Amino acid sequence: MADAPAGTIYDVGYQRYEGVRLGRRHAIWALYVHSLRGVFGIGRSWSSKVGPMGLAVIALVPAIFQLGVAAVTPTELSVIRPEEYYNLIEVVLAIFCAVVAPELVGRDQRTNTLSLYFSRALRRQDYALAKFGALVTGMLAITVIPQAIMFLGNGLAANDFGDYLKDNWTDLPSILGSAALLSGLIAGIGLIIAAQMPRRAYSTVGILAAFLLTSIIAASVFETADQNVGRFVLLLSPFHIVRGFTLWFFDATPDPGTQIGEANFHGIAYAIDAVLVTLLMLALLFRRYEKISP
Amino acid sequence: MNATVFTLTLRQFAGQRRSLLMFGLALIPVALAIIFRLGEHLDQQEETANFLANVVITLILPLACLIIGTSALGSEIEDGTAVYILAKPVPRREIIAAKFAASVLIAAAFVVPATVVSGLIGLQGVSEEGIVTGFAIATLVGVFAYTAVFILLSLATSRALLFGLAYVFIWEGLITELFSGTRFLSIRQYCLGIADFFATVSEQEFEATIGGPEAFILAAVAAAGALFLAVRRLESFELTNTD
Repeated sequence: MADAPAGTIYDVGYQRYEGVRLGRRHAIWALYVHSLRGVFGIGRSWSSKVGPMGLAVIALVPAIFQLGVAAVTPTELSVIRPEEYYNLIEVVLAIFCAVVAPELVGRDQRTNTLSLYFSRALRRQDYALAKFGALVTGMLAITVIPQAIMFLGNGLAANDFGDYLKDNWTDLPSILGSAALLSGLIAGIGLIIAAQMPRRAYSTVGILAAFLLTSIIAASVFETADQNVGRFVLLLSPFHIVRGFTLWFFDATPDPGTQIGEANFHGIAYAIDAVLVTLLMLALLFRRYEKISP
Repeated sequence: MNATVFTLTLRQFAGQRRSLLMFGLALIPVALAIIFRLGEHLDQQEETANFLANVVITLILPLACLIIGTSALGSEIEDGTAVYILAKPVPRREIIAAKFAASVLIAAAFVVPATVVSGLIGLQGVSEEGIVTGFAIATLVGVFAYTAVFILLSLATSRALLFGLAYVFIWEGLITELFSGTRFLSIRQYCLGIADFFATVSEQEFEATIGGPEAFILAAVAAAGALFLAVRRLESFELTNTD
């Protein structure tokens, strides 16, 4: 025993990674795709699918109702007009965001996996950007699809699809533009709240409160305060912003009885406001992920 | 009831950001009431009663109870700390009782004062007509019923929050409004029934579909039933990986 070597080094066969390194851009893309699948619970258990899929179906109900009406009545009759659609499903959209956003960003914070992401090619802003992109895409899916179904259905129910298309083709850019602004706005607000509070219960209720309660507060301030001051409060409520710019995109005049009608802003004000709020939320989200200790 | 579990649960709710959210939820009705008072009103009693019904009972009360009820036991299950409680020689009914008592205490401490203060501000200058008393009792009863149901939900499924939201917004918000025959299965309607029972304003101003005594009994049955089932569920609880 005494003359045995003091220590022996064994070759246990550790190897360096020799393959192709796909780099930062691929990492962003991979995280985006993974997150987008997570938005709808694809690749997860059925209980993760129930929420987002169920809400997506509920968001379709008014479109299907309109199709039924269009099929039964002989003349072109729009019970549900495209510029009113988001107004009808705004609570569904808020619940969708409140259910999905905490899953997207909260889970990585709860399970301490952020440090794993940040130790790879992915930068901190890239993480925020991929998550934001995934939620925006998810929101786009549940806003554009019902509108597209309604557009196609109305067109096919009309006497001549070609004529319908010729008369109403301007609706298509309106649908896409308003849906894009709406998705960016709601996703931005949802993610910034979810990133602050990793606990699911708190962030879900926080997001809902941010949409529903600001809407109520803005409405009652508007009713009470002086018109010239009070109308600016509407620009702070996400639901009012969405209503405002959707009407502008579809070139519709708001009903005089509604608050949007009384506030009498030019429609573009809501659109600019939505862009500004979205950019602010993105900036805050970047800052949050720069500061967060994984 | 187990005093240690009770105090631990109270402490669990005392995080900074979380209690900030609860404060926000409680302050919003007060702020709304102040905004409301600044305006001109034809019928302050009617409008205050409707405000308490549409904002406090419909939104603030269920949302506050949803957070607290689903996370009292739910966050322990999610974090994996439930094992340590369940492994102790404490009867499961005592755990449920302690969790329930702590949740009710916290939820009531936020929601009931919010109701009373916003009601008093809204009715300032006119006679109260039992509106504040009615809604205070209604929210208190609501806290008991909602919290019990949400605790049961957090034990029955790992998606308690989702099903809780679906119950509040889709069942109570949509289906019971459309099909009034289902109203006896809605905690919101119990609360409105109780508030209506105590408030002496005329029927056009504020009217509930369920009578006061029935609403009280139904709420008690809902709370007791949910707690009984929660104890049963916890007695045969299997810890699984939730995330």
